[in-house]
Amino acid sequence: MKISIQHLTKIFPSRTKGGSAVHAVEDMNIEIPSGQLVGLLGPSGCGKSTTLFMLSGLESPSSGKIFFDDQDVTTLAAEKRGIGLVFQNYALYPHMTVEQNIRFPLDNMRIKKEEGNARALDAARLVQIEDLMARKPHELSGGQQQRVAIARALVKMPNVLLLDEPLSNLDARLRLQTREEIKRIQRTTGITTVFVTHDQEEAMSICDTMVVMKLGVVQQIGAPQEIYDDPNNLFVANFLGTPPINIFKGKVQGGKVYIGEEAVASAECDDREVFIGIRPEGFIYDPNGAFTLNLDHVEVMGRDKSVVSTHESSTKPTVRCIIESDVALPADAEQLKFNIKPYKLFLFDAETEERLR
Amino acid sequence: MEENKDNIDPMPETPPKKHNRFVQYFINLGARIKGWFVDKYTAIKDFFVGLFKKKPQEELVPEGPQLSRGEKFRRGLKSQSGWLFVAPALILMAIFTFYPIIAAFINSFKQGYSGMTGRFDGWGFDNFVRVLKGDTGTGGADFVQCLVNTLVLTFISVPLSTLLALLISVALNSIKKVQKAYQTVLFLPYLTNALAMGAVFATFFKIIGTANNTETVGIVNIVLGWFGISPVDWVGLTSPHWQIGSLSIPWAKYIVAIIYEVWSGLPFKILILFSAMQSINKQYYDAAKVDGASRWTILWHITAPMIMPQISYLLVTGIMGGMKQYSAIVGLFGVTMGQDYDMGTMVGYLYNYIELGQTGYAFAGSLMLFIIIMIITWINNKVTKKRTTYR
Repeated sequence: MKISIQHLTKIFPSRTKGGSAVHAVEDMNIEIPSGQLVGLLGPSGCGKSTTLFMLSGLESPSSGKIFFDDQDVTTLAAEKRGIGLVFQNYALYPHMTVEQNIRFPLDNMRIKKEEGNARALDAARLVQIEDLMARKPHELSGGQQQRVAIARALVKMPNVLLLDEPLSNLDARLRLQTREEIKRIQRTTGITTVFVTHDQEEAMSICDTMVVMKLGVVQQIGAPQEIYDDPNNLFVANFLGTPPINIFKGKVQGGKVYIGEEAVASAECDDREVFIGIRPEGFIYDPNGAFTLNLDHVEVMGRDKSVVSTHESSTKPTVRCIIESDVALPADAEQLKFNIKPYKLFLFDAETEERLR
Repeated sequence: MEENKDNIDPMPETPPKKHNRFVQYFINLGARIKGWFVDKYTAIKDFFVGLFKKKPQEELVPEGPQLSRGEKFRRGLKSQSGWLFVAPALILMAIFTFYPIIAAFINSFKQGYSGMTGRFDGWGFDNFVRVLKGDTGTGGADFVQCLVNTLVLTFISVPLSTLLALLISVALNSIKKVQKAYQTVLFLPYLTNALAMGAVFATFFKIIGTANNTETVGIVNIVLGWFGISPVDWVGLTSPHWQIGSLSIPWAKYIVAIIYEVWSGLPFKILILFSAMQSINKQYYDAAKVDGASRWTILWHITAPMIMPQISYLLVTGIMGGMKQYSAIVGLFGVTMGQDYDMGTMVGYLYNYIELGQTGYAFAGSLMLFIIIMIITWINNKVTKKRTTYR
């Protein structure tokens, strides 16, 4: 099912007298094609969960519209939207067994017992918990509870599956495994899925489309690689990527990009103060390179090396460059010279922090 | 090698005699009961021996210098000082709880016991037999009548008021404005005296009042009159009742008593259930809403199970309290608890026989009440535990 969000805005009135209202989501416009896995990504407080709850119908928007296919569902009650929602804490009913939990939506739909049992079992098989049907939630591990929650959301064959921070309560290993699982389930069922996360790695790894948000405003929408390679502004560039992008203060003068005194690349924009973002993998070691960094130490990762250094123009305490492990570095050098891959270097206006292309 | 060992045994034990299964069951049961008593006896004995046994010297002062007599005494006292702190409570409980229980137990087996002189004719179950048969020869309350009254009132009013409290709590939980005000109003009956409330209730239900020297009917009968129902004597001498053998079922009085019990039981139950409801995570309701659960389903399949610990607490304590009810009935129906104790309760029965000087019957009755409450509480626990998931 296609989802279309038009001018969606949510304003929470202030709790105290005279306080200012909170704009949780502002003028959001997204088109989500049918059958896609979409990630809402942003730091906490950016309105991503609010957006999800507005999609689910648990929160009503202050203005704007939501369409499922061509149907306007903006004012439609949650239970009539045909959505499955997985909560961050799973919200499994503690007094019901796994089977009763999964069956609960079906019982509410007054589906016959045999059919309900069959569908509950199907959903359980899909998330591989069919052996745990007789257990109570507190007898399950976090990962298993998560699966039950997904099964409960899937059992009614929803048009849209919504996941609120589905992986945040799992440990690191399980998180990797579960995110692949979610991808697999989404592929198998073909259900349009929207999930919320603050973890960019998680979003990058499984999303078809990613929506990056900040303070209620959508910053960029696109495929993960697209956004990574072509960020709209400093925030997006900074938010995506591990290790994060290196940011320098610098200027453009006469068609050249200067960091400190060194011209590291050419530019086609007017002279001005800029922020220069360089991805860690954008450095090429070259003894005659254009850009000099003060070497701090080198971390060996096996597949590649991580060169940690400092630079006076850097906005962060350290600059991190990732180079291939077979590149030999001088053992006791205090300074290293690099060339910059032009497509890994982004220029942002120093005032607006918008990308200069 | 292992097998040889058995053969060396000079006196092989004779195999135990085979009984049929039924007899064997009782033999085993007997052995188990005996075992239980022996266990308890040794535990109690060990406890008391431990209490009075002198602790070995080296345990008190492992490797210290030789202590003076006074110091030894001081330290010895200090190690037992815990007893000092519990002593006031322990002494009071011993005088007012343990001694009466034991005395009641012993005295209930004394036949023809006189509370004044302490004389009695002999030991036996005479008191119990007479109490159960209603053959007390004093014209006092009837045990079976009192027991039936108590059970009927308890097992109708407690579940009913718990259910009502649940529904009211749900309603209270769903309103936002003036919630606090409603809460206060609902809690007020809890602060009111039972006798006073009973008297007021009785007035509501009276058929004949004597206000301004004119005959009037109570407000309930006035309201019933609007619907063309002729006045019923709810609480008076002509109150309608059914007769089953020697047992009287004063249904009109039951209705009054049950309405009263439900009403007076509500505040505390609402307080408990309402606060329990407020602590339920809102996400469960969101999840239920997304899953298309109706209000009814949410109440019975989400809210009620979630506050089951509180509900079972209310049922257990409510039933225990119901079995011991007295003052409310006196407030409603006077000190004779209706007409010749036709609304008597178990506790009323006990008071009656104490008043009549027939303490033996009162002792026997109280022991039976004790056992009945224990059995009901035990069943109660079994039932509610099964349905309760503690988070």
